[in-house]
Amino acid sequence: MTATDPAKPAPLPLDPAIAPPGTRNFRDAGGLPADRWHADQNGETLVPTHCCFCGVQCGMYLRVDHGGKVFGVEPRNHDINRMRMCPKGLNAYQQVNHPDRLTAPLMRRSRDEEFREASWDEALDFTVSEIRRIQSTYGNDAFGLLGGASLFSEKTYLVGKFARVALKTRHVDYNGRLCMVSAAGANKLAFGIDRAGNPFSDILLTDCLLIAGSNIGECFPVMTQYLWGARDRGATLIVIDPRETAIARTADIHVALRPGTDSAFFNSLLHVIVAEGLTDESYLAAHATGWDEVKKTVADYPPARAAEICGIPAEQITQVARVFATAGNAMAWHARGIEHHSQGVENCLTVINLCTATGNLGRPGAGYGTITGQGNGQGGREHGQKSDLLPGGRSITNPEHRAQICRIWGIEESELPGAGTSMMEMVWQMQRKEIRGLIGICNNPFVSLPNYAVVKAGYDTAEFHAQFDFFLSETAANAHVVFPVTTWAEDEGVMANAEARVVKHNKAQEPPAGVRTDTWVLCELARRLGAGHHFDFPGSREVFEELRIASAGTVNDYYGITYDRLDATGGIAWPCPTTDHPGTPRLFEDGRTYHPDGKIHMQVVEWHPPMDAYTEEFPLSLTTGRTVAHFLSGNQTRRLGALVEQTPRPWVEVHPCHGFHNGDPVRVITRRGNEVFPALVTEAIRPDTVFIPYHWPVPTAANALTIDALDPRSKIPEYKVCAARIESAERVDDVPAPPMPPGHQAYKEAQASRTDPLPPTSPQGRGTAERS
Amino acid sequence: MMGRTIFIDPGRCIGCQACVSACRECDSHRGKSMIHLDYSDPGQSVASLPTVCMHCEDPVAPCAEVCPADAILVTADGVVQQADTTRCIGCANCVNACPFGVPKIDLQAKLQMKCNLCYDRTAYGLAPMCATVCPTGALFYGTLEELQAERPGVQVADSFAFGDVVVSTGVAMVVPADKVQWPVPGGLPVVEVNGVDVR
Amino acid sequence: MSEPTEVRAAAPPRPPGAPEPAPPAGRSVAARATLAGTAVSLLLITAIVLGSRLLRDFDSALLPYAVATVFLAFGVAYRYTVWVSAPGARRLFKKGFGSFFSAANFKKAPTALPRMITTYLGFQKFLGARSRARWAAHQLIFWGCLLAAAITFPLTWGWFTFTSGSGSGPGYEMRIWGIKVLGFNSLNILGWLMFHGLDIAAVLVIPGASYFLWRRMKDRGAITGQRFAYDLLPLICLIVISVTGLLLTFSSIFLHGGGYEFLAILHMVSVVFTLIYIPFGKFFHIVQRPAAVGMQLFKYTARQDEQVFACKRCGEPIDTTPYVENLRGTMRDLRLDFNAFVEYCPRCKRILRGNAYLTHVKKGFK
Repeated sequence: MTATDPAKPAPLPLDPAIAPPGTRNFRDAGGLPADRWHADQNGETLVPTHCCFCGVQCGMYLRVDHGGKVFGVEPRNHDINRMRMCPKGLNAYQQVNHPDRLTAPLMRRSRDEEFREASWDEALDFTVSEIRRIQSTYGNDAFGLLGGASLFSEKTYLVGKFARVALKTRHVDYNGRLCMVSAAGANKLAFGIDRAGNPFSDILLTDCLLIAGSNIGECFPVMTQYLWGARDRGATLIVIDPRETAIARTADIHVALRPGTDSAFFNSLLHVIVAEGLTDESYLAAHATGWDEVKKTVADYPPARAAEICGIPAEQITQVARVFATAGNAMAWHARGIEHHSQGVENCLTVINLCTATGNLGRPGAGYGTITGQGNGQGGREHGQKSDLLPGGRSITNPEHRAQICRIWGIEESELPGAGTSMMEMVWQMQRKEIRGLIGICNNPFVSLPNYAVVKAGYDTAEFHAQFDFFLSETAANAHVVFPVTTWAEDEGVMANAEARVVKHNKAQEPPAGVRTDTWVLCELARRLGAGHHFDFPGSREVFEELRIASAGTVNDYYGITYDRLDATGGIAWPCPTTDHPGTPRLFEDGRTYHPDGKIHMQVVEWHPPMDAYTEEFPLSLTTGRTVAHFLSGNQTRRLGALVEQTPRPWVEVHPCHGFHNGDPVRVITRRGNEVFPALVTEAIRPDTVFIPYHWPVPTAANALTIDALDPRSKIPEYKVCAARIESAERVDDVPAPPMPPGHQAYKEAQASRTDPLPPTSPQGRGTAERS
Repeated sequence: MMGRTIFIDPGRCIGCQACVSACRECDSHRGKSMIHLDYSDPGQSVASLPTVCMHCEDPVAPCAEVCPADAILVTADGVVQQADTTRCIGCANCVNACPFGVPKIDLQAKLQMKCNLCYDRTAYGLAPMCATVCPTGALFYGTLEELQAERPGVQVADSFAFGDVVVSTGVAMVVPADKVQWPVPGGLPVVEVNGVDVR
Repeated sequence: MSEPTEVRAAAPPRPPGAPEPAPPAGRSVAARATLAGTAVSLLLITAIVLGSRLLRDFDSALLPYAVATVFLAFGVAYRYTVWVSAPGARRLFKKGFGSFFSAANFKKAPTALPRMITTYLGFQKFLGARSRARWAAHQLIFWGCLLAAAITFPLTWGWFTFTSGSGSGPGYEMRIWGIKVLGFNSLNILGWLMFHGLDIAAVLVIPGASYFLWRRMKDRGAITGQRFAYDLLPLICLIVISVTGLLLTFSSIFLHGGGYEFLAILHMVSVVFTLIYIPFGKFFHIVQRPAAVGMQLFKYTARQDEQVFACKRCGEPIDTTPYVENLRGTMRDLRLDFNAFVEYCPRCKRILRGNAYLTHVKKGFK
C-alpha cells in the first residue's frame, strides 16, 4: 500500500475519463512522435525498392517528401508479393530517419574507456594501424573479417575481396553461417547448385505442399499467400513443426515431432514409400545416383521405429508418405527448423531424397526449395564472403577456380589465402588468441551466436574489434571502433531472394550527415592498407560490373544481369549467362543437375540424437526461433515503436502440463546458463518442448542457453534443440534498453512498452487490446 | 446487396498484425491504428481475429444512432464514417454500444476514431490499407465475384446473430458453403460459462 | 466519392411490421421546435426593444444585422430543440443539466464546473491533443469571434451606445442600456482599443481561418470526406467578414471613405448570411459544444462516488455505472435490442465473437 493518508485521497483529476482496454490506446505511433507525422501536404515521390528484411524480398515503395526524406511506405504491386506486406516491412522505413541512428564514428583505445565521437580520418587511421600492428606481429591470418547476409550482394562481394586482397587473411566468414549453410551444403552435394529449385509461384500449381521446419506465418508472412493460394486450388498442406504455428493450425496434416528427429522422420517416409511401391523408379533410374544405398538405409526406419524417435503416431508417418507420394505434383520447402542442427545438412538431404524418390523435381508445381531467412541470404553466400568460397560460388581450394579469380582481381595466385573457418570457429579462435583482431560488418553475434558466454569471452579476448552498423548493436557496443554506415534505403544494390531472383534496391534518400556507405568505408580502408588500386569503386554500380564478370561462366552466373535489366523486369533469377537470357526461375527442367554427370547425387543419412544429451536433470528440449514482429538479432526492430508495442519482450512457451499460468516467471536452465522468462502457456507446443524467441540480448537472450555444437559439414550451430529444464522463479528478467553511444538514450517513445508488465498473449505478440 | 467491400476470413489469418501497422500508415489518421487484432483462442491455439468496422446496415450504424452529438455520418454508399471532429464530444457512447467492439476513443483529444473503410483510399479507387497488405487474404477488398474468382467455392455471410437480434452489415465474413444461410454467431449473449448457465 | 450525410437521412425505410419509433410525448418535434424558436425570437425582440430604451438607442443603419440575429435566435432554438429530442442527446441533456444544477455536486466540488468550462470551452485543451497547430488556429478564431460578438451584438441591438460631448478626443462615454459604464478619451490607447476592437478581432480570425483553409486544401486527412458547404464555406465566410471589416477601416482612414458604401454592403451581406447559416452548418458546434461539459460533469460526479462499471467477463473498467445505465436507456429508446452487451468491454465482445466463429462456423482454413 502507498503511504498516502487515507483521510486525504488524491483529488480526482478534472477529466477522470475511463475507457475499456484497447479502445483508448494510441501509443503506437510507430516510433516517431505523433507530431512529426504529416499527411502528404506537398506532394511526394514514390521510390520503388524492396524490403530490407527477410528472404521473400517483397517489393515496396518508399514515400519521399520534397525535402528528400523518407517518411512512409506504400504497397507495390511487385509479382513477388502483389502489394502484400508484413508488419516488419511496413515499419522498415522508420529506421531511415530514426533518432537512434549513428552519425559519427565511435572510437576508444581500450574497452575500459567510454566511446567518444571521432572523425572519419582518425577512426580509419586507428583501424588501419591496429590491422598493421596485429598482422605484422602475429601474421596476416590473425586478423578476421565477418560479413553479413543483409548486405547487398555488391557489398558481400567486397567483403570477400577485401579479406583476401586487402587484409590477405584466410579468416573471413559471414552470418549466413547461422542461417543458410546447411541447405547450401545439401544443395551442393545433391544438385551441384546452391539455390531453391522452384519459384514461389510454382507453389500455386502444386497438389501437395510439405513445409518442414518453417514458421512461414511469422518468419515469411507474405509467403503465406502462396500457401493459401495452393490450398484454394485444392492442394494438401503438410506442416512438420514441434509447435502448432499459424500455418500448422489449419494444415491438413500437422506433424508435431520432437525437435532434432527430422532425418528419422524423412527416412521413415521414404521407407513407407518404398514399401508401398510409390517410388518413381524410372525417374530415379534416369536422373539419380546412390538410390540403392539410400533404399537400403531407409529400410531400417519403419514407421514404428521413427514414431518412437519422433514422438508421433506411426499412422501419421504412413499418412504423410501416402499423401506426398501419390500427389500429382508435390513440393517440399524447408527452413531453419530442420537446418539448425548438428545434422542440418543431412536433414536437408533426406528431404531431397524424398523429392527425388517420388520424381518431384523440375516441374511446375513439383520441386524442392529452401527459404532463406535474411534478405540476401541467397545472394550473400554466392560471391565470396563465405570462408571457403570465391565469387561465383567458386571453391577457394580448387586451383582452377583460384587461378580464374586471381586473374580477375589482378593478383598473384600465391597471394590468395586459403580456406578459413566458420563464424563460430572464429570465435573459438579468438578465445584461443589465434585471431587477435576483427572487423564485423552487418552482424550482431552477441545476440545471434549460440552460447553467449563463449561469444563474449571470444570478443573480449580480441585486441582490436571494429564494427559497421547504423544502430549501435550489442556487439558494436563492445567494439573499439564503430563505423556509422547507411541503411538499405540510402544506397543502391541487388539482393537475391529465396527463389534466387536477383532484385534491385534503389536509393531513396541521401545518407544523414556523417554517415558513409559500407562500400566507401571498405574501399577507404583498402586504400590506407595500400590496396587502393584493387578497390577503385565509386559505388555499388561499379562493384556490380566487376561481380558480373567475376561470376561469368560459373554456376552462379550473373553476367546477363544488369541494373537496367533489373529495373525493367523487376528481378531475374540466376543463372543468367547472357544479357538476352531470361534467367532461370525453375531448375532441372531438363532433368539435369549441375554436377558434371547431370545426376542427382542422393546421399545416405543416418539419424543421430542431438548433441546436448537429455538426462533426468535436463529432460526437455529447448528450441528457439523468430516472432513476426522482430528480425534476427533485433538491432533494427527493437527500436521501432510499433514492433516493440506488438512484442516487447521474449517469453517461454510451455505446455499446460507443467502447471504454470500465463505470465508466471519461469526459469529455463540449460548446461550453459539460466534465465527467467514469463510463461506463455499453450497447448500449441509439445509437452516435452519449450520455445524461446531469440531476438533479445542477455539477460533475456535465448542464445545464452543454446549449445554451440556445430554440424560437421556446414558448421551451422544446433540452435533448434538443446536439453533443458524449467522451474518457477521469483521474477522475470527485464529486457535491457538497446545500446546507445554515451550521452544518448534510445528513443523513448519507441521503448515505452519494453518494460511493460504485459507479456505477449500469443506467439505473434500482444493483441491490440492487450497492451497497457 | 454487397458492392465492393471487405471480406473477413479468420481461418486464413495468421495474426501477424500487418493490418494493424498498415492502418497506421493511412494518411487520414497517420500514426493511429483503428484496426483490432485479437487472439481469440488463447491457451489453445494461435487463432486470431482481425476486426474492422462492419459498417452496420440494419440497424443502420448503432454507433451513429446513440451518438448524442450527431457526429457519426453515413455516406450514401453505406460507409459509416468516423466522428466529425467538430461535433464529437468524446462521450464513448459509440464505443460501448457497438456490438462488434469497433470504435476507439482518444481521451485527451475527446475524439472518437474508427475504421472508415479507408475512405481516403477507396474514394480514389485504391483498396483499404489493411486489405491491400494482408499477407494471407484474411482481409480481402473487392466484390463477391472477385473473391470467388480467387477462391473457388467460397461463400460469405453478412449478418450476425446476437441471441434473437440479427444485425446485417456492409462488411461480410467468409463462411463454409453449408453455413451460408445462417447468420454468423456474434458470440453474445453469453449463455454459459464453464458449463454454468449464466442467463 | 459520395459525400457523407446525416445518418437519419440515409437510413433505409424500416421493414414493414416494425413498430414506428414512439413519438415524443405531446406535440411532434417540429412543432415543439417551432414553438421554441418563436418563443426565443420573441424574447430577443422584447429584449432589443427594452434594452435600446424603446428603440431610442437603436441604430436603424444596423437594422439588417438585428433582424439577422432574430433569425439566428429562431434557428438556434429550433435546431437545438430538434437536436435534444433525439434519444442520445435528450438523455445526455437531462443528465448534464442535472449535474449542472445539482446543489450536492456544487458542495462536493465547487471549482470543478468553472475549471471544466475554462479548460474545455475557453482554452480548449483537448484540441491541443489533436494537433497543436489546429489548436492555435482555433484559439485565434475563437477569441476573435468572441470579441467580435461581444462588441457587435449589443451594438446592433442598441444596448451599447457611445456618446460624446465634443466630437473627438476626451469626453467619450460608453453606455449600456442607457447607463453610463465608462468614460474615456477616444485618442488614448483605451479609446483606440474601443474603436478598433473589431479590427483586432479580424486580425485574429484571418490567420486562424486561413490556416484551416490552407489545411483543407493540402492535408489528405482533412480532404477525406470534405464537403464544400460544411467544411469550406464557414471558413470563407469568416475570412470575407474579417477582410471586408478591415477594408472598411482602411477605407475610412486612408481612402477618405472611398468604396465605403460598397464594402459596407458586402460586409453586411456576408455577416447576415453567416448568422443565418450558424444553426445549419458547421457553426452549430458553437451551440452544441457546451454539452461536452455536461457530459464530463456527469461522468465526474459518478467517479467521485467511485461508481465504476467493470466488464462482466474480464473485470476491466468500462465506464461509470450511471453512464452505462444511461447508454442502455438510450439504446432501449432506439430499440437497439442488444443493449445488454454494453456490460461487456469491446475486447471481450470481439473475443467472444472470434470464439463463436471458431466453434460454430469453422475451426480452420475450410
